Amino acid sequence: MPSARTASRRRPLGLAPFLWVALLLYVAFLVYPVLNSLWTSFTDKNPLRAESSFVGFDNYTEMLTDERLRASLLFTVVVVVVVTLIANAIGLGFALLLNRQSVGYRVMRTLIFIPQVLSGVIVAIIWRSILTENGLLNAVLQRIGVTSAPVSWLGSTEMATLSLCAVVSWITIAFATVVYSASLRSVPPSLYEAAKMDGAGAVSRFRNVTFPMIAPGTTITVVLCLITTFKLYDVIAVLTGGGPANTTQSTAYYLIQLAFTNNLFGYSSAVAMLLLALTAGIAYLVTNVLRKREARL
Amino acid sequence: MSTLRIPLRRRGHLASAMLVTAAYILPVYVALVSAFKTQDQILANPAAPPAPFTFDNIIKALSRPDNLVQGGLGNSVFVTAATVVLLVPLASAVSFYISQRTPKVKAALLAFFALGLMVPPQVVLLPIVELLTAIGLDHTYPGLILSNIGGGYLSFAVFVYVGFLRTVPPEIIEAARVDGAGDVRLWWQVIMPVVRPATATVSIFLGLWVWNDFLNPLLILGPLQGQTITTGVYLSVGGYSTDYGQLFGIMFLSAVIPVVGYLVSQREFIHGLMSGASK
Repeated sequence: MPSARTASRRRPLGLAPFLWVALLLYVAFLVYPVLNSLWTSFTDKNPLRAESSFVGFDNYTEMLTDERLRASLLFTVVVVVVVTLIANAIGLGFALLLNRQSVGYRVMRTLIFIPQVLSGVIVAIIWRSILTENGLLNAVLQRIGVTSAPVSWLGSTEMATLSLCAVVSWITIAFATVVYSASLRSVPPSLYEAAKMDGAGAVSRFRNVTFPMIAPGTTITVVLCLITTFKLYDVIAVLTGGGPANTTQSTAYYLIQLAFTNNLFGYSSAVAMLLLALTAGIAYLVTNVLRKREARL
Repeated sequence: MSTLRIPLRRRGHLASAMLVTAAYILPVYVALVSAFKTQDQILANPAAPPAPFTFDNIIKALSRPDNLVQGGLGNSVFVTAATVVLLVPLASAVSFYISQRTPKVKAALLAFFALGLMVPPQVVLLPIVELLTAIGLDHTYPGLILSNIGGGYLSFAVFVYVGFLRTVPPEIIEAARVDGAGDVRLWWQVIMPVVRPATATVSIFLGLWVWNDFLNPLLILGPLQGQTITTGVYLSVGGYSTDYGQLFGIMFLSAVIPVVGYLVSQREFIHGLMSGASK
């Protein structure tokens, strides 16, 4: 019925006003701000001065010698890599362990997602109380005799970075477990039976059946790890405040400090453009690479 | 004794699963019990159950002179509800409109909205604050709600709706058209009921994100203007960082709505997570 087909493609013009409202708000609060940041990145705008002038690529060349920016990028990369590895490994482990159908297992799968439901602020406060010098973690470690003196989990550069990675991983494991649980349920049981008939052992069944079938779960988790880490702010603000000595700052955190604490609007906009380019570029790249991997598996 | 008939291996598996889950969820448990313990009990043994059980922290949190909890909860409910109630119909109407256009126009509009998914909130925050100042909505709730609606959340909602509308058989729309339904009636009376699962997904996620949002309320509302409960918790950390009882009481009150909401709607939640993420 060709007539029905063309009719269904009829433009529902009565709804056009909704599109205009949506486009107006979207342009005002997303597209315009991006373009505004791009323009500002070529100026020396500072709210403490009335006038700002065009400075060309000065802000961009300044980024090349900015030690704090370099440190923030390195920190972001470390967190991304560590969190992605831990969340995928432990999330998959949890999903395999809890992959059974009974009330008990269903309750456990429900509980495991709660860290994702809590706000970053609350998660960070909980962990700060556990990681503090006389907190639960040190108490346990001292009682079982692992350490004699309390460890300063948030005090030194290395420990604070480690603690932040652990806390962000803790949040992300919740997400990864749920995604992998759902992926495991989508594997047709007939594939396992066929593999068993062929005499495949548990390890071989995991490698040749489970692993390829859960590849989309890996894609989702990796992309989420990237997105979370690139816009990480609240956990850092509460857990370490970017310290000690500015060593636990993500680029997104540094950007907010530049704009709202240091009033360097021009320079912070240039850093914003760098962050935008990195986020968009990496999201595009990773999605493509992982989708190809899914197809290959 | 029926439990004896359960094979030993399966009982071992259940026990280790429970142990691992308990270890993982321990920080949540510690926070929960701390809300009902005195400061001394918390410091003496953070992981012990609340015995004797006390409501002092909750009462103290609710009787603060600055009204932080009640005010914050009220503001959070208002901002979250207003964002969801305004954004859901807008996004579903726009998505239905987009899904009915020619493939070329549809692809162009979707690509345009996809930009919003890739922009970290920090990148656009400064211009948004300036824009709200220019139109006189800085430090106001309408300003926060407008930027919630116009920002990246709209992109997410449009993607979920357009994805779901792909699965709706065109015959439904045809039949309604043949019956003479206008566009707006067709959307409101036919499409809205059909896309209810997508509406559940969008509402649940937007509700959670807006409720837990920290950066936008902090910098759009400003610390002096009264806050949402999430920024309220953050601001109370400074003054009460040593009074853990008080702090956990406030945290309990701020987290109870999203956690109960999740436990009640977890089936839709997980389902939405999978359908939303697979796009």
